[in-house]
Amino acid sequence: MKLPLSLLREYVTTPLNAQEIGDLLTMAGFELEDLTGEDESAVLDVKVMANRGDGLSAFGLAREILAKDPGAKPTDLYTKVSGRFENATAGTSDRVTIETETCSRYACLVYESVVQQASPKWLEERLTQAGQRSISLVVDLTNYVMLELGQPLHAFDLDQLSGQKIVVRQAKSGEKLTTLNGVEHELKAHHMMICDSDKPVAAAGVMGGVETEFSDSTKRMLIESAHFNNSSVRKTRKELGLNTEASYRFERSVDPEGVLAALYRFAELYSQISGAPAPNEIIDLYPTKPKQVTIALRPARARKLWGMEISDNEMLTILQKLGFGVTPNSDTFEVIVPTWRPDVTLEEDVIEEIGRVYGYEHIPELLPQGTTPRGGVFGVTSIIDTAKKTMLRCGLDQVISHTMRDAHRLDFNPDRRVLVRNPHSPELQYLRSSLLPSLADAALRNGGKNVRLFEIGKVFVQGEYVIDESPELSILVTGDMQDQHFAQKSSPQADFWTVKGIIEELGKLVGDDVQFALPRLPDHRFHPTRQAGIMVDSGRLWVGTVGKIDPDYAIEIGLPTETYMAEMDLLVFFQNPNTEVKLRQISRNPAVRRDIAFVIPTQVPYSEVESTIRIAAGPVLETVNLFDVYSGKGIEEGFHSLAISMQFRKMGENYTDAEANELRDKIVAAIQEIGGVLR
Amino acid sequence: MSTSLDTIAAIEAEALQSIGSCATTAALKEAESAFLGKKGSLSGLMQKLGQIDLAERPSFGKAVNEAKARVETELAAREKHLRAQERAVQFEAERIDITMPGRTATAGREHILQLTTNKIKEVFIGLGFEYMESPELEHFDYNFSALNYPPDHPAMDEQDTFYVTDDLLLRTQCTSLQGHVFETTQPPLRKFTVGRTFRNEAVDRTHGHTFHQVDAFMVDEGVSMAHLKGTLRAFASAMFGDDVKVRFRPDFFPFVEPGVDYAISTKKLFNGRWVELGGAGLIHPNILRRYGIDTEKYSGWAFGLGVERIPMMAYGVDDLRHFLENDLRFLNQFA
Repeated sequence: MKLPLSLLREYVTTPLNAQEIGDLLTMAGFELEDLTGEDESAVLDVKVMANRGDGLSAFGLAREILAKDPGAKPTDLYTKVSGRFENATAGTSDRVTIETETCSRYACLVYESVVQQASPKWLEERLTQAGQRSISLVVDLTNYVMLELGQPLHAFDLDQLSGQKIVVRQAKSGEKLTTLNGVEHELKAHHMMICDSDKPVAAAGVMGGVETEFSDSTKRMLIESAHFNNSSVRKTRKELGLNTEASYRFERSVDPEGVLAALYRFAELYSQISGAPAPNEIIDLYPTKPKQVTIALRPARARKLWGMEISDNEMLTILQKLGFGVTPNSDTFEVIVPTWRPDVTLEEDVIEEIGRVYGYEHIPELLPQGTTPRGGVFGVTSIIDTAKKTMLRCGLDQVISHTMRDAHRLDFNPDRRVLVRNPHSPELQYLRSSLLPSLADAALRNGGKNVRLFEIGKVFVQGEYVIDESPELSILVTGDMQDQHFAQKSSPQADFWTVKGIIEELGKLVGDDVQFALPRLPDHRFHPTRQAGIMVDSGRLWVGTVGKIDPDYAIEIGLPTETYMAEMDLLVFFQNPNTEVKLRQISRNPAVRRDIAFVIPTQVPYSEVESTIRIAAGPVLETVNLFDVYSGKGIEEGFHSLAISMQFRKMGENYTDAEANELRDKIVAAIQEIGGVLR
Repeated sequence: MSTSLDTIAAIEAEALQSIGSCATTAALKEAESAFLGKKGSLSGLMQKLGQIDLAERPSFGKAVNEAKARVETELAAREKHLRAQERAVQFEAERIDITMPGRTATAGREHILQLTTNKIKEVFIGLGFEYMESPELEHFDYNFSALNYPPDHPAMDEQDTFYVTDDLLLRTQCTSLQGHVFETTQPPLRKFTVGRTFRNEAVDRTHGHTFHQVDAFMVDEGVSMAHLKGTLRAFASAMFGDDVKVRFRPDFFPFVEPGVDYAISTKKLFNGRWVELGGAGLIHPNILRRYGIDTEKYSGWAFGLGVERIPMMAYGVDDLRHFLENDLRFLNQFA
């Protein structure tokens, strides 16, 4: 809210300058967002919190300054306004009818004659400073009084009101209203309307209608000051797509007890400036008075919650300055909440008021005391942290990318993507179903040639009944697995085995229980014959896919065809993590090594070869290493030669050559069983 | 007899001369074996012991041994000298241009938001807080109702929300963790989370539709605003240095009462200017009561702030958009 300092000074006298007033308001909870101009032409731009409608006026902010600044004094105008124009009286009349519960009070002035003139310079200037346009004296004064007191006013051309009557009611379906901004609205039954005898003439608390607005030709006028239910105003203005100074205030609360004072202030200024006579009618219908809210405040509790010493007396003074009624009893204050503070409903709210005015700078700084629960990271979250470290150790750079994105060729199951109902833009309409698209984006952003990336983040997939949100790990590598360097001939290149090796490394977190299986249905995003399903839980659970990118996709999105990726669901992967480490005794006896090479049909999977060796050798087998694979010249079509080195070691005794050879022969025999022929 | 001694002297002189003229350690090795080896001319003299008079044998033997000792000493000295010379030549030949680039380590780098998160975790775990996570796609209740947002309140306007269904939204604040915790856990408790939040806002240098938040809260007997301020001070010190100061000013969030906005200031980073970090306050009694927590016995505080703000302030990152663009030229500056 932009507030001219000169206007604020009409209500409070203080030795503070503009900046100091702004700082004080900031510390009272009304943040100074901007300060323009100097001295008396200064304008404060103050951010008023969503629950503090009472701060949306010069009068309201003056009250805060008076509470917090010991050097501040109220002006006569402040006293008059806070006394609600002591002798203000009004009558009732059949000119106004309230037919809805969402209007708790409706008051108005009726002028049988109107002085048409422009505003004086000072008024025009203050409105301009507040960011409003000067229109005519009457309209300007309705706006000005709202700035002063926070109570929205509206000026009607009485002769345009059918029957010269006001009816506050809900709209009837089919009714229409063209508002001041020239837009015609179709009304619904839950829209609260100001109507004349026939039709809606204004959206209550939001905006007037174009047909009945005060204009140059207005001869008789009606000035409205009312109180409307805040959520009803909010609903109407949202649905009509309007946002006005009036609706802004009604939504955040307006003091129902200030309704008449605003009309008196209008009449006073109008008469002072134009010499116009007093209004012919002053009408006030007040069907629903606000309930008095009384709160029991325990000063000891206030001290406890603030963690600072504020005396009972200081609390009393603060509350009284803010307009609360206080009856101090021995250890409890009976606090009556003023009508302009509907946000205060609990003891804690009152406690906040005390601390706010007393000053947050007095709060001491203490670290938490008392029972300390166990701190740390536990469960799956902790294992995922370890998985991140494994990725880093494997040489992958971490990326973190957006959740909302456009459709992408690398999406997981496009039919099950989740749509955002009100997207930021069409390019951000989906929740990511896979991290691979953003890894591809990141790869391209970084040159697309030599990148080693991983991301761990949530992905979203439409399930049968619910949307699944799950943490996923994705990897994308291409080109050099190590930066080129002049002192080495070449860098290792990313390939299928690179990514598989990383997943195997990750498998150590689940007790090496990772298997790779031919997918039943190939994942179309991967090269059809260079992909594998990642399985855990002894091959029972599918967790993701590893492989080479589909070459057509690669070309389409601009990545090298030698791009390798992996994608897996971490929640499933870590469902039964084997984190238990059991110590194996280390043998001090020397190991012996035996190499074997044999020809075997290519359709016999290596995993079968290795498990055959392991079973035949038993526990003395320390390592198995496939060190050469050869096919081509000298090897029959459909076969390849595998060269494998094995290391045996016994605990507590040495191997003799004869024993080692015997074991090797046993292994060779077992391999022959599955179709291998020694070379 | 004297002839024999003369022979020794002559061989010794020859040996010493030969050693002195050796130019390499390899030549020296040859000289050594020529004079001192099994068949060397000096050590060979001992084999002639039998041809010498019995009475002269002891003095002959002694003379040979003494000569050998002198030759050995000379050999060692010469070797030391030659080795030093040869090393010097070798080292010169092995000189490299140490200004050429080093080889990059193969370990991967962490994202700056990860590094910041790690640091945050250290602080709160150290203070006895448990790290937890809750869904990004959240139910309306956890994001708003459970946090004491009255239905249809202007406070929600400040949090323009992305919806997926009537009930499911992308959480606008990590405070949504609170409801999940209170449903299952009674105080005393200290929990925190770091996660992703979403607001349907216009994007510019300091605003994004997606950003990260740290959100921490504790409930215990006797918890006061002083504990909140002390904790935030400890947190800010860990992030920005020990000379950091913390300022509270009143602010409104439906889930806290009293509510504060807190700002920090350090001489080094902000030249004494106050920079706002986030919102905090004592957990609203309505929330505690909703989960059956006795507000007469227990109180709690909660705070939240944008994770991106920390590197923005600490390193001068001037555009929020850098964080999720994953340009390694940007990211590699931090890790």
